[in-house]
Amino acid sequence: MRAIVVDDSRATRAILVRILAELGFECHQAAHGREALDLLAAQGVVELALVDWNMPVMDGLAFVRQVRADGALDGMKLVMVTTEGDTAHLVRALEAGADEYAMKPFTAAVIREKLQLLDLAQ
Amino acid sequence: MDAPVVELDRIASDIWTAMLGLTLEPYHDAPVFPPDQRVATGIVQITGDFEGAVTVQLAETKAREVAAIMFAMGPDEIGEEEVSDAVGELANMTGGNVKSTLCGVCQLSLPSVTSGRDYHVSVPGTAVRDRIGMTCGGELVVITMLLRQDA
Ligand SMILES: [Mg+2]
Repeated sequence: MRAIVVDDSRATRAILVRILAELGFECHQAAHGREALDLLAAQGVVELALVDWNMPVMDGLAFVRQVRADGALDGMKLVMVTTEGDTAHLVRALEAGADEYAMKPFTAAVIREKLQLLDLAQ
Repeated sequence: MDAPVVELDRIASDIWTAMLGLTLEPYHDAPVFPPDQRVATGIVQITGDFEGAVTVQLAETKAREVAAIMFAMGPDEIGEEEVSDAVGELANMTGGNVKSTLCGVCQLSLPSVTSGRDYHVSVPGTAVRDRIGMTCGGELVVITMLLRQDA
């Protein structure tokens, strides 16, 4: 399975990529939503995106909206992984089309649980 | 709107345990770095119903260790860019969790990071609301919450 990790922190991307690799994913990385969309356009759709909220250029919410508006990216599961922990943010993300929501700080177990809910991990 | 009590020590401990597998211990002396020590500071600003900032400060040597854990690299392979990224993300997570505790409608800035010896961080119009020191492996970690004076 293929995934993309979208976060402006390289350190956080590195951690998430290690967690996903353990779960059998091959990962792309992008530092913001625009870069992720360009990568997906070039490389084709992936099964899963882990998406930060606060990023320069294009934030996670705008990315989720763009993915959901683009028929070519249908079927991609979107999991927000963010410090934005209040209900208002959660509701906005889910309304925009995110499938799951995980809070920073996260553990490998939490990410795995979220992916289990989406049938992307055992 | 009065700012609720924010447990900086619990927020910081949760982050360091989950993301780094490191334990933060309470520190009972004044949370001040020696003037000859190089210190990295990550800062995020909060705007909206509450205005202020959150900083995370630690010795550069410790910051390198933290970056090495996050990047899963040897400390010798860690450069300034990795240190800056790691400290910025610690500030982002700390500030984000503080913001969630503050309630109201607030926005979080992208983090910025600075580093050097014997300097003072200030955010115009704000004052220190709370500052805590903790230690990790004997090294000081300082978390500061600044809020606009009328908050
Ligand atoms: Mg971010």
